[in-house]
Amino acid sequence: MRVKHLLLVSVLSVGVSTLCAQQAPTAKPVTRAPAASQAPASRAQAPAPRAGQAAPAKPALDISPPREQDSVRFGILGDTGTGDRRQFEVGAQMTKALQIFPFEFVIMLGDNIYGSERPQDFVKKFEQPYEGILSQKIPFYASLGNHDDPTQRYYKPFNMNGERFYTFKKGDARFFALDSNYMDQPQLKWIEEQLSRSNDRWKIAFFHHPLYSSGARHGSEVDLRTRLEPLFVKYGVDIVFAGHEHFYERVVPQKGIYYFTQGGSAKLREGNIRVNSALTAKGFDTDNVFMVAELGKESMQFQVVSRTGRRVDSGSLPLMPEPKASDDKSRSQ
Amino acid sequence: MLKLRRWHVLRTVLALMFSALCIGLPAGHDVGATTVAAAAAVARQAPVNPLAQSMAEFKKRVDAYLQLRKAVTDKYPEVKETGNPAKISEREKNLGKGIALARPHAKAGDVFGPVSHQLLKIVEDDWNSRSAADRKALLSELPPGIQLKVNQAYPTNIPLATVPPKLLAQLPMIPEELEYRLINRRLLLRDRDANLIVDVLVGTEPKRAE
Repeated sequence: MRVKHLLLVSVLSVGVSTLCAQQAPTAKPVTRAPAASQAPASRAQAPAPRAGQAAPAKPALDISPPREQDSVRFGILGDTGTGDRRQFEVGAQMTKALQIFPFEFVIMLGDNIYGSERPQDFVKKFEQPYEGILSQKIPFYASLGNHDDPTQRYYKPFNMNGERFYTFKKGDARFFALDSNYMDQPQLKWIEEQLSRSNDRWKIAFFHHPLYSSGARHGSEVDLRTRLEPLFVKYGVDIVFAGHEHFYERVVPQKGIYYFTQGGSAKLREGNIRVNSALTAKGFDTDNVFMVAELGKESMQFQVVSRTGRRVDSGSLPLMPEPKASDDKSRSQ
Repeated sequence: MLKLRRWHVLRTVLALMFSALCIGLPAGHDVGATTVAAAAAVARQAPVNPLAQSMAEFKKRVDAYLQLRKAVTDKYPEVKETGNPAKISEREKNLGKGIALARPHAKAGDVFGPVSHQLLKIVEDDWNSRSAADRKALLSELPPGIQLKVNQAYPTNIPLATVPPKLLAQLPMIPEELEYRLINRRLLLRDRDANLIVDVLVGTEPKRAE
């Protein structure tokens, strides 16, 4: 009887401990309802150790190689231009990533140069941190943030062709770089014209201010969204990259469009993602990150890697069907 | 004969009265001369849309600024894309200095001119239409107490404050060389390549906290 009682008490206490452990508050990252399927297990790491062998040191960089042969591969950086240690460390990791995931170009999501924009600032806040990438002749395509002087459009390494907003094509994909800082009528007219002309498989827009964001400091740019979203939906933009918020967030797809906020490549606003935001599919606001992506025939693979080389998000996003001319809502989810 | 003469006089008087009625002038004028003078008078007295008049005046002032600017840009032609940022910043500085020197007496309101009232109303209405969170976001972009003066360079240590697209859609269109900026609720006109404050909207002092 006594033995039975002791056994029952033990079982109960173990049960209670387990429950408590499950309910104990966990530290961030914010992670919710992933819309993206996880990347395959193929990793560019050493194989698992055999029995008896010592486990290898933790890899410095957790990143997988591209999955498709002729995919369009690119890097994504946002809010970079501080010239501080964090920017250099992210730059160094991204340079290392090139060996495993050879991206062909990099898009910049604005705030390319913070503070003064003297010639030496371009060196310290852009050329030096990304020297390893620039030296391999990998082009950068910049968009303007609210900290950027529009004369940056003349700076050749930003490849803006002297324009605040511009477009370029890579393989099956067309990229649209916008100036969200100053969304005037000529720009809106230009976007509509360019989007309507594009028959490309992938339509990617990138600019500084996020249309959807769970940031406690800034949040969604509703005013801007009112202007841009109808055009994006109408003409079938697939993915939108933005910065401004100094963290990483993958947003639950909105009206058939994937949204990423990646403004934490040098600056960091720690703990700034609102905890219960319904917008967040995945959030990371405890360290700086860079992102790489590949656009394949039917899907986009993406990986987000922290300053310390840790993969904080990855997945595969299927290409959305093209909108029907008669029904814009066909892309809504 | 007398009857015929009376009829002739009556006919002439009637014709004169008719003409006078048509052009809205008192009778008794010479008809040919009156028609031209009256047409000019009518044009002078025609009701004018004050908004259109202010906008036309604003456009005139913007054009005058661009003309003045052109004289300076001719000396410092547009930089083609360059890998040397020194060339970009040098041109920006030269342009700013050159334009400021060419308009040494420029003061707030010189370019906005008579359209200032309408612009103040547009800015105010836009502000009032925004949510508390939206207002906070707009104000948090910049530190308080920024003093901006006409003919000065826009400070490089503060962000180029975002102009809300809804507000931008309501403001009169301006050429690509210029842009509006909203600094703590105060609207200003900035020369994009010269980084020069061209004009500041004068009027009610913007309140920061609400």
